[in-house]
Amino acid sequence: MRIQIRQTWNHLFTVFSSMSVVLMVAALLLFLVPMLGKGMSAVFFRGTVEFRKMQHDLYGLGSESTLQKEIAATQAARDDIYAIFDRFSRGIDTDLLAGEAKRLYRDHGDELRYQNVPKDEYTALRKQAKGIRNHLMDAFESVDKAEIFEHLDAVEAFKSDASLKGTSVEKLIAMAADYRNIAETVDFSKRADYAEELDAVEEELFRLFGPRPGVERALAMESYGATRWDVVQKHLHQLVWQESWVLSEDGQQMVQKQVRRDDPKEGSFAGTQLAPMFALVEETVSETLRPRRTFYWRYFVQDSTPGHYFGGVGPEILGTLLLTVLAMCFAVPLGVISAAYLVEYAGENWVIKIIRVCINTLAGVPSIVYGLFGLAFFVEYVTAKQKCITSASMTLALLVLPVIIRASEEAIRAVPRTYREAAMGLGAGKFRTFATVTLPAAGPGILTGIILSLSRAAGETAPILFAGAVALGPIPDFAGKWWFQPTRALSYGCHDITVGDKLAMMVPHNQYGMVMTLILLVLCLNIVAIVIRSRMSKKLRGY
Amino acid sequence: MANITADKEKTAAAGFNRPLRLTVTEDLRGFIAVKVGHSLLFLTTFVSVVAVFLIFFFVIKEAIPFLFKGGLSEFWARMSEFSTSLNWYPHNEEHPEFGALTIFVASLYVTVCSLLIAVPVGLLAAIFLSDIAPFGLRQVCKPVIEILAAIPSVAYGVFAVMVVAPWMQNKLGFSTGTNVLNASLILSLMALPTIISVAEDALSAIGREIREASYGLGATRAETMIKVVLPAAHSGIIAAVILGMMRAIGETMVVWMASGQSAQIPSPWWDLSQSVRTMTGTIAQEMGEVAKDTDPYYVLFAIGVVLLIFTFILNMISEFFMSRFKKTVRGH
Amino acid sequence: MFEVSEITEKTKSESLTMESIPISKQSEATAGKIKLDGPASASQPETPITPERAIIQSRDFSFFYGSKMGVEKINMDIEIGSVTAIIGPSGCGKSTFLRSINRMNDLIPQTRAEGVLSVGGQDIYDKSTNLVNLRQQVGMVFQRPNPFAKSIYDNITYGPKLQGIRSKAKLDEIVERCLKAGAIWDEVKDDLQKSALALSGGQQQRLCIARTLATMPKVILMDEPCSALDPLATARIEDLIAELKGTYTIVIVTHNMQQAARVSDRTAFFCLGKLVEYGMTDKLFTNPREQATEDYITGRFG
Repeated sequence: MRIQIRQTWNHLFTVFSSMSVVLMVAALLLFLVPMLGKGMSAVFFRGTVEFRKMQHDLYGLGSESTLQKEIAATQAARDDIYAIFDRFSRGIDTDLLAGEAKRLYRDHGDELRYQNVPKDEYTALRKQAKGIRNHLMDAFESVDKAEIFEHLDAVEAFKSDASLKGTSVEKLIAMAADYRNIAETVDFSKRADYAEELDAVEEELFRLFGPRPGVERALAMESYGATRWDVVQKHLHQLVWQESWVLSEDGQQMVQKQVRRDDPKEGSFAGTQLAPMFALVEETVSETLRPRRTFYWRYFVQDSTPGHYFGGVGPEILGTLLLTVLAMCFAVPLGVISAAYLVEYAGENWVIKIIRVCINTLAGVPSIVYGLFGLAFFVEYVTAKQKCITSASMTLALLVLPVIIRASEEAIRAVPRTYREAAMGLGAGKFRTFATVTLPAAGPGILTGIILSLSRAAGETAPILFAGAVALGPIPDFAGKWWFQPTRALSYGCHDITVGDKLAMMVPHNQYGMVMTLILLVLCLNIVAIVIRSRMSKKLRGY
Repeated sequence: MANITADKEKTAAAGFNRPLRLTVTEDLRGFIAVKVGHSLLFLTTFVSVVAVFLIFFFVIKEAIPFLFKGGLSEFWARMSEFSTSLNWYPHNEEHPEFGALTIFVASLYVTVCSLLIAVPVGLLAAIFLSDIAPFGLRQVCKPVIEILAAIPSVAYGVFAVMVVAPWMQNKLGFSTGTNVLNASLILSLMALPTIISVAEDALSAIGREIREASYGLGATRAETMIKVVLPAAHSGIIAAVILGMMRAIGETMVVWMASGQSAQIPSPWWDLSQSVRTMTGTIAQEMGEVAKDTDPYYVLFAIGVVLLIFTFILNMISEFFMSRFKKTVRGH
Repeated sequence: MFEVSEITEKTKSESLTMESIPISKQSEATAGKIKLDGPASASQPETPITPERAIIQSRDFSFFYGSKMGVEKINMDIEIGSVTAIIGPSGCGKSTFLRSINRMNDLIPQTRAEGVLSVGGQDIYDKSTNLVNLRQQVGMVFQRPNPFAKSIYDNITYGPKLQGIRSKAKLDEIVERCLKAGAIWDEVKDDLQKSALALSGGQQQRLCIARTLATMPKVILMDEPCSALDPLATARIEDLIAELKGTYTIVIVTHNMQQAARVSDRTAFFCLGKLVEYGMTDKLFTNPREQATEDYITGRFG
């Protein structure tokens, strides 16, 4: 019996141990899958015509003529939608019509003055026109159908007046006829509701199709509609569906429910002239936006504008490469020579012990303290109070120095003593033995260490926070002293787009995209290191 | 009684056609080369020592104006405010207060919470990898641990803010998604690889003999591990835990992004859903906002000094346990 | 045979490497004054080696690892062109002594030598020793085959290249000659660019011997060269040693008494860091002078 209890304990122990590893793997997957998956959508997506337009305008890519043809075609499809919308919105947003009426009335006055009409005739005509205008304005303001038609009738009574032919007043009368058509279909009692909903619809149309042709927006981010299919779908959904509070059952609480705006029963535009537009937008979306599968590899090359709204992470990658490569230039010679000295030349005296303690201490210093040190020493005394690439990469170099020393030391120590003996026995001096036998044999190990510290340096953020990284800024100017300029970097960029950059928060695919780039960079470096390591063990076996 | 000079002439017949004796110039050149080369190598290696001293010197140097600004009389007042007060208002124009106790407590709090998760999981995983997993599975797990360790902290931070925080708010109903629990979870994930690899090394170093002895006496695997191997490897495991602790307490990006940045001690103290602000987070957050050479600037360096000393002591402790462990292993 | 005069300059520059060869102003003087105290009275072989035939002379030579004694007061001459075997139980200092002859023990930290060990008349533990030339002319073959992780060709040419030989034709000639002398030419001649690590253990060991020959040594030290090999490979190495005898002075440390009996002219028996007995091989194995020797060769201990 007792043995069974012990066995059970043993099994439980095994299960728990295995669980912990499963937990670890699950955590890794839980992390990697969303980060890489969502990040991939920055590169692989269905780009719309707006995307191609943006790429052409901002980066000068794509052919002008094909793009113009495409824009013309989509514009034709969009015009139908705009026509329905405009027609309906004229009935709702009558301020526009009122303004137009006022303008026509003013034009009329100008016309008369231009024609040098005698004064009393002028006064009479103006009075007549004013009457028409006022009727029209009253019709626009009123929400009572009978009253509206009354006013419109009053206006249209002048329709047959031949003296008004060709004047602006005739246009006023035409507006009345137009408005009669609208008024017949619109429930004016709901005008205020319509107006509010219409604003939302207009906003969504703008998000889908960008500004109307001929309208120039100052900001690049407001100059284009939905550039990607997932964004299209999101806005399409927001365009067609509304959220409304409904009673699920009598006497129960109100619940939120998604309703189509053109739903015949509950939709806010039920039965209006606008209702067909929603179906039309849905049906023609592939014509109006022309989604096409896009492999946006330029994401890794292009600059971004404005903020991180459009474009890619090119400058960030460049900055990270500059920082890490420069850091390696400082750290690798120091690290490898130190390791060689520690293994090949140094005995075990107190100086060496102090050096070892210092290397361990260096490895244990928190990264943020490196940041402080970089600010207080490198920025202050080495690079003349300039936060720049050099100061940042020197800070990084110090951070990876112990990593490189340890890895190289281990690699050099791992070279069998017989190698050294063989070389020495053949008459090679200590230095030559190291250079021709030990170093080549330790080479892959050292290289692995260097690659791993490269990936560490690429991922570190805290040390470069105060020493030379910026969230947004110009690309280092290679014609000038680029090493004295600050730079963007992937790691700091990742932080900024997540908690700092308001523009980037509107485009989650770009947020995830940058993190994915960083993770991929680091993963690739690590995989290379792993491959080199396995090759190395194979080579030592002699294949 | 042979004289070597005589021998030398005779043995020259042995035909050593390259002289075994250095000429004076060779000797001199060799001497110079060795001395010069040796000192160059030594100086290069000494850079690490210089770097450590520079780090301590400059971080402390920037912290000194905060403590010694008003002379010695004010020094004690400042020190006691810094280390015992809970009021952290360095940016108050009229009455700036520099009570960093909240921040120290928060750092410890987050670190301990993350270790509570990471240590049991890490130890069990180390046991699994050293004693239970078959060889093939171990070969798969090693890269997983390496990748876990390689992922940049800022990427974990983004994960915490963009994936974990919304989940906590929506599914767990926390008032804020960036809180102690979030930061601790992610930190424990980051401390895991350190703990696992060091602990696994310690367990493997114990050797097969002692395990075989235990199995031979009829113990199960669980009993062997818990009663024999773990006690034998305890110094190495303590070192692993301390190294994991160092990783957690020194980590910046994750706690900065995931812990919510509000300088408070959670009340009630076990409420993990509240935001805190740690030492590293404070430095990272405020260094970008303060003007150089002002009190708020200096006080951040003072926090840096505390952090530096703390990790230095932890480092020493871990090295002590490491060397003790190495002695134990060699003793076997 | 390649021209020595041509490479002398290069050889000199070899000593400019990071060797620990500090200058010694008295080197000339000291070397001249060293007395070789007594021709190693008791342990000298019956057939005495005349000083002009003794290529290696050891007088009261002791070697220490830290405070631990490696070998103690060894007095022993080794004849030019002969094969000398050193036998003895494990840890008796035979390898230590062998490795002292070309100062290979320098690689081990905190070691110290006392007494005189002269090679070709030069006290090699004197500061004035040209270590590069010493090790080139006193080659060594190790217990385990230790080819570099390079091609066979590069393994052989490593030494000559150190001596400054760059000409491809000359290197090719050396490779062929040494591989032939090492009795491995027929097995590898088709693919000299193959990694040396891909060879079998016995082939690797013969390659290592060939590699040693390429530096044109006068003395070859062999540290249990067959201990990691199977009997067939061992036999081939033994044949090789027999072939090399005469051209080279060979000192071989071995665990295997039959091997010592088969290949050597003289045998030295070490025990507990001391030279117990040294004499002609057939004499030592059939009629040992010392009781310890007899006990060892008859298998009573060791």
